[in-house]
Amino acid sequence: MDSEDDMHDANDVDSYEEDYYSGDAMYSDDDDDAGYEFLHNDSDDSDDVLISRQQKNFTILKEDDIRQRQEDDITRICSVLSVSRDSACMLLRRYNWNVSNVHEAWFANEDKVRKAVGLLDKTTYKPTKARELPCGICFESYLLDKISTAACGHPFCNTCWTAYISTSINDGPGCLTLRCPIPSCGAAVGVDMVNMLTSDEDKTKYQRYLLRSYIEDNRKTKWCPAPGCDCAIEFDLGSGSYDVTCHCSYSFCWNCTEEAHRPVDCETVSKWIMKNSAESENMNWILANSKPCPKCKRPIEKNQGCMHMTCNPPCKYEFCWLCLGQWSDHGERTGGFYACNRYESAKQEGAYDESERRREMAKNSLERYTHYYERWATNQSSRQKALADLHQMQTVHLAKLSEKQCQPETQLKFIIEAWLQIVECRRVLKWTYAYGYYLPEQELAKRQFFEYLQGEAEAGLERLHQCAEKELNTYLNEDGSQDEFNNFRTKLAGLTSVTRNYFENLVRALENGLADVDAHGASSKTSSSKNAAGTSKAKGTKGKGSIRGRTDDSTGWSCDQCTYMNSKNATSCQMCHNSR
Amino acid sequence: MANSNLPRRIIKETQRLLSEPAPGISASPSEDNMRYFNVMILGPTQSPYEGGVFKLELFLPEEYPMAAPKVRFLTKIYHPNIDKLGRICLDILKDKWSPALQIRTVLLSIQALLSAPNPDDPLSENIAKHWKSNEAEAVETAKEWTRLYASGA
Repeated sequence: MDSEDDMHDANDVDSYEEDYYSGDAMYSDDDDDAGYEFLHNDSDDSDDVLISRQQKNFTILKEDDIRQRQEDDITRICSVLSVSRDSACMLLRRYNWNVSNVHEAWFANEDKVRKAVGLLDKTTYKPTKARELPCGICFESYLLDKISTAACGHPFCNTCWTAYISTSINDGPGCLTLRCPIPSCGAAVGVDMVNMLTSDEDKTKYQRYLLRSYIEDNRKTKWCPAPGCDCAIEFDLGSGSYDVTCHCSYSFCWNCTEEAHRPVDCETVSKWIMKNSAESENMNWILANSKPCPKCKRPIEKNQGCMHMTCNPPCKYEFCWLCLGQWSDHGERTGGFYACNRYESAKQEGAYDESERRREMAKNSLERYTHYYERWATNQSSRQKALADLHQMQTVHLAKLSEKQCQPETQLKFIIEAWLQIVECRRVLKWTYAYGYYLPEQELAKRQFFEYLQGEAEAGLERLHQCAEKELNTYLNEDGSQDEFNNFRTKLAGLTSVTRNYFENLVRALENGLADVDAHGASSKTSSSKNAAGTSKAKGTKGKGSIRGRTDDSTGWSCDQCTYMNSKNATSCQMCHNSR
Repeated sequence: MANSNLPRRIIKETQRLLSEPAPGISASPSEDNMRYFNVMILGPTQSPYEGGVFKLELFLPEEYPMAAPKVRFLTKIYHPNIDKLGRICLDILKDKWSPALQIRTVLLSIQALLSAPNPDDPLSENIAKHWKSNEAEAVETAKEWTRLYASGA
């Protein structure tokens, strides 16, 4: 076990965390800072850590909900237009299930709509006196009870109707606009005839297409793209963020239906995914193999979340999975203790020299891409692992821990929150690497600001992930004392909220296109309480030009505990409230 | 034998095709397969195919009449909607097929297609281009091909 004595200690946080978890509003006496507001909010709706960050601008529809809505819409059309359910269904389908569009078109020109949909006003079919009629398909004559017709009255025998409708259903969703077999006729064949004349299997298929049409033809709804999920999402068009989360816990972008990628825009994501598929063979070649331990050269497969690797005894070499550098070298130079995000500095320091072979083979551009792709993919798999860990925690470990520590599970919610935060942050971090790849090289200030924010966020996340993954294990496997466990609680909860703040900053900054870099010099911008943390942070960094100047006292000071860059006149950290 | 349980519809269609043939069209079933027809269409008057006799083959698949018959020109023809293998671009042979259509209606549609080529929906890209850029010249080529390959010899 390689619990870190060299990591940033988060123990000092207990001074406020005790207040936090006792449920009182803390800092109400002296603090009018932004960080407070956020923490405070959070204690209110902590069950829904992921959802609470976004106001709900979408509705999840289960299959029953969808059917219910469809039925309701049909009922509305029936009653307003005085048509059969069958006809209402066809009208709605024609107008993409938009009730008001049906109304509008119908009352503007009923004849035109009837013609377009194939709804005949009156049956043109004149009742015949004959006892038998010839079927227009098989040419046989049948007694009238074996003959069916659509509203047009063209007679076909029931067997031929069944074959006709069944062929159409098995050809695909086109069956929803089926017409009379006579090409020049155009009378609609709707759900009533389908139900009357086809097998149960075909009826089910038809209903399936009808249900799909309700979601797929409607501008406001889309299916959840997760495999095996039958839910659909209704989205309030024109509202802010496109990220939606389904019941099945899959998050995706409603606009492009790729997985959720806030704060990176859809265009960048699609470019990145294209690029990945185009170069995936190269990447597979590079990444399919495990990495050798930089010291003993034994192959190592990464199976846990954080980047701090420790080789098996007797080697026990500690290194960073991303750059393969010695772990103890990680610090200021790599952009923070747990951060290893700077491609440029890595290159300058020659961290890539050790893989001479790879360098020879990979052209510069590929190497650059590899840098970003590797970090993108590693965060992706780290997120998968974290999801599995979260699941394991919820289903197995929480009960076990509750017993060991004699604490009700409700008191252990902070662990679940931490894991939810990790999962969400891995997702955001992953996409920031796609963002970074497309950030123009010449935009130096933006790049530096971006890498700074990303580095801070990444470092926070690594600390949190490490704590949740490794330190928690101690309490699962041994009986730690109550006191120790309480310390752990304080630490993990503290890291969770600090990390959340960092990521909120990162997301905000990327969503406004890193505009803070050129928006203002040192001008003091009045900021709303909601995003004061973000802007004040931007102020802290900007103007200095160099990230590495962040310990420079003339512009601000870096918090010892969370490394947040505070303005120079702040007496306590705006992020974690550690005093200076 | 495959013909033993031939649907009544196919038998009736065949009888009618033989007893009341459509003008300029003949279709007779093959002796050993009643679903396979040898077809001849006369080039319509006032078209570049006038005077030609075009041979086609027509096959009724198992699903007929729920599925369209398969038809193909055997005689070489210069036409924007017919490719060099004789395949025909005609909507009722594809998605616009309806079981209410018949062999007769299909053949009449093909005859009509010879009278009115549609270069905007081409099967043969080159011929369609030729048709649009220089119709007079394309028509001449079609006449030439009719004389060369469809003179009924």
